[in-house]
Amino acid sequence: MKMSISLLINGETYQVNVPHKKTLLDVLREDLALTGTKKGCDSGECGACTVLMDGKPVNSCIVLAVDAVGKQITTIEGIGGITELDPIQEALVAHGAIQCGYCTPGIVMTAKALLDSNPHPTESQVREGITGNLCRCTGYVKIVEAIMDVSRR
Amino acid sequence: MSYSVVGQSVPRVDAREKVSGSALYTGDMMLPHMLIGKVLRSPFAHAKIISIDTSKAKELPGVKVVLTYEDTPKILWNSAGFPPSPGAILVEDQYILTNKARYVGDGIAAVAAVDEATAVQALELIEVEYEVLPALMNIERAMSDGAVLIHEAEKNIYGHTPVVIGDIDAGFADADFVFEDTYYVPKVNQVSLEPCGVSMAAPDKDGRITIWTSTQMPHLVRSITAHALGLKTGQIRIIKPPVGGAFGSRLGVVNEPIAALLAMKVGQPVMLKYTREEAFLATESRHPITMTIKTGVKKDGTFTARQLTSYIDGGAYATHTPSLAGPVAGWFLAMYKSPNIKVDNYSVYTNSTQCGAFRGYGNPQVVFAVESQIDDIAERLGIDPLELRLKNHPCAGEVWLWSGWVIESCGFEECIASGAKAIEWTKKRSKIGNESSHQGSKKRGVGMGYMMHVSGARPMLHETSAAMIKINEDGTANLIYSNSDCGQGAGTSLSQIAAEELGIPFEDVMITKTADTDVAGFDIGSHASRQTYSGGNSVKNAAAKAKQKILEMAAEMMETPVSELVVKGGRVWASNKSSEEPAKSVSIAEISHRAHFGSHGNQIIGVVSEEPPGNPPVYAAQFVEVEVDTETGIVEVLRVVAAHDVGTAINPAIVEGQIEGAIQQGIGYALTEEYCYDQESGKPLNPNLSDYKILTSVDMPQIETILVEAACDTGPFGAKSVGESGLVATAAAIANAVYNAIGIRFKELPMTPERVLAALQNKNK
Repeated sequence: MKMSISLLINGETYQVNVPHKKTLLDVLREDLALTGTKKGCDSGECGACTVLMDGKPVNSCIVLAVDAVGKQITTIEGIGGITELDPIQEALVAHGAIQCGYCTPGIVMTAKALLDSNPHPTESQVREGITGNLCRCTGYVKIVEAIMDVSRR
Repeated sequence: MSYSVVGQSVPRVDAREKVSGSALYTGDMMLPHMLIGKVLRSPFAHAKIISIDTSKAKELPGVKVVLTYEDTPKILWNSAGFPPSPGAILVEDQYILTNKARYVGDGIAAVAAVDEATAVQALELIEVEYEVLPALMNIERAMSDGAVLIHEAEKNIYGHTPVVIGDIDAGFADADFVFEDTYYVPKVNQVSLEPCGVSMAAPDKDGRITIWTSTQMPHLVRSITAHALGLKTGQIRIIKPPVGGAFGSRLGVVNEPIAALLAMKVGQPVMLKYTREEAFLATESRHPITMTIKTGVKKDGTFTARQLTSYIDGGAYATHTPSLAGPVAGWFLAMYKSPNIKVDNYSVYTNSTQCGAFRGYGNPQVVFAVESQIDDIAERLGIDPLELRLKNHPCAGEVWLWSGWVIESCGFEECIASGAKAIEWTKKRSKIGNESSHQGSKKRGVGMGYMMHVSGARPMLHETSAAMIKINEDGTANLIYSNSDCGQGAGTSLSQIAAEELGIPFEDVMITKTADTDVAGFDIGSHASRQTYSGGNSVKNAAAKAKQKILEMAAEMMETPVSELVVKGGRVWASNKSSEEPAKSVSIAEISHRAHFGSHGNQIIGVVSEEPPGNPPVYAAQFVEVEVDTETGIVEVLRVVAAHDVGTAINPAIVEGQIEGAIQQGIGYALTEEYCYDQESGKPLNPNLSDYKILTSVDMPQIETILVEAACDTGPFGAKSVGESGLVATAAAIANAVYNAIGIRFKELPMTPERVLAALQNKNK
């Protein structure tokens, strides 16, 4: 069964006609070509698909698109400007915290939500905050350093 | 030696596109009329296929093609990404789709349909009749008398790699002590965040096919895929977009032939993207190996004989296994000096998913076993474990048995000294047994492990790389390279090497971020930690050729001989003969403009295709401190000190990142990771990230990386390697620290709380 729904993503309203069982992640990637949000497991285990829903990080692979109606969705495409990056993104670049980059958009979104709610977290709060975002490249060392760097500004 | 950009932690060339989400990975792509491919997988670990009925699936609206074994070329092939070389033992034992299932997940049929839901539904409509055979889930069963054959190999053993140096029996006779232990290491998965197995194939009207694929080796995937499909190599074009992690999992063909066959049959582009479960089920993991190590040693710690007998569980298809048996022997025999060495490695088929490459390529397995036993030997002899290693490791100037070549540089002594100091080895080791190191049920210990690794695979394998440097009209440079960066940062390091050699700003070098076999010269790819050393040499030499032409043009313009010119900061300078004269210089932009549009009319281009001059080994000493909770059995790694000799660190942040990330995988190998099968049915028990545990941000200890830069003459600016070595010694170091904490020697990984508790209870009986 398909449903016609309206989604508010990065400040823009999108009208989409989607099966009622389709996830927000699949709608973002397949219907709206917002492919910055990645699919790593499709079952809420890895965090690569993290987006913000009313400012809170969620795994978009376990959110149905129809349940995102009426919410403010922010994806990685909604962070930073056309050429400039958000301070979190700049810090990840500067600290060498990006390797394969597949977990990176999810990390950016989670870090954004973390620092929005707690601008000066301790290192253990940062580690706790990103624990739902798996990374297989970095050992999290430089990711944590980058987020701590932003939090000290 | 002082450099301008070599040695600087410049940001990666691909960081901004990745951090902004704009980097397009293979699975992000979409082509007009693109179909979605899916694979029907065997639910049985071992079964003959009696019949397949695809008629209902074919009738489903939206289904464009359904393929089975009947539709595949009857060409046997091997997926492992090797160039034809002396060390490549390629047993060809697989078809694109099989007519006999050899593991749960083996590909039986494939469909392409207008969307994923339709493709999934089509799979459900395929009717297969199986004759189920016994599932041989471990080497003991596979090698037992009368066991059913998985392929046509007696006792399911399809490879034996023997090595004999000296007289092993005489060596043991000469020993004061002989140690013999058997170790087992489990199957573990690479778990790249982008699930392994994503390719998109698009055929054209000229009989060629373009495949975008997440791979480590574009050129070898091209030739293997062509062979499997019965095509000419030149009919295939491989494009490698950004890769979401690899760690060996993409070291060869993954699913490219299936995507290509579907696309060719239907004449439309097909995207074939494996799920996380499929990445576990149907792509290659690290080999489980059972290793028996026998060591003869004198009272003073001199080795008289070293012997390894190993059984390598290669899973259902040969792929890398018989070739990997060679390095497994190499890692073992090259670690420690001994006049008498014997190795026998056996490759065994079982009904689990085939095993392939995973960071370290057999070395983490061997080092876990060897370094565990070395600590036991040191304890028995009453020698400090560090001293025993320092006494027996091969040094610069000696022949390294892995390659048979002389070791160019060795930073191992410094690794030991700096690592031991950082972990406070003397103080903490001496505390063992003292109550002060114990806090209630929690016991602390420190341990270490040593390893050596390669900078390529010469002389076992060819290591060809090609690079082209084009100097643009404005003095910037394009570096055309088959860039198989999978996230490790090779593309950035190679750009630094080009900029350093050319004498132009780093920002002015633009590397081809995407590899394209129609564009760049032949390159082996990312394996064996080779990119910086092998690729770096070809990039440096291509840049040197371009630089020579720049200097010749400048000599003409400045009326000064080449011998008196130097390039620096994007300009060519004439050496200043008298200090009163102002220095004379011409910009490379002016030189290049003159080359293009002056009387010569040719662009300055430097091209190289070559093999590197050597294969310098790298060294590492990793030290860890652990805390073992004797009530819960939980082992917590408190701290890791990783001292690595990498040669010159071209980009220290990238080098550190390689080590830090590898340690996460090494701790997982030691403590949490094991891909398990039901031993009767052969069904995988944990093909997902809830049950297969990789470490999260809160699980990771403090990591201190120490870079020891023992530069080597043949490396680009002295660089050796780092890609794989970060995890090789980690599990051994942890096992030794656990022994130091609780006095129990674990000979099997991972050291889960259940196993630790059971061992503690056993000890206290």
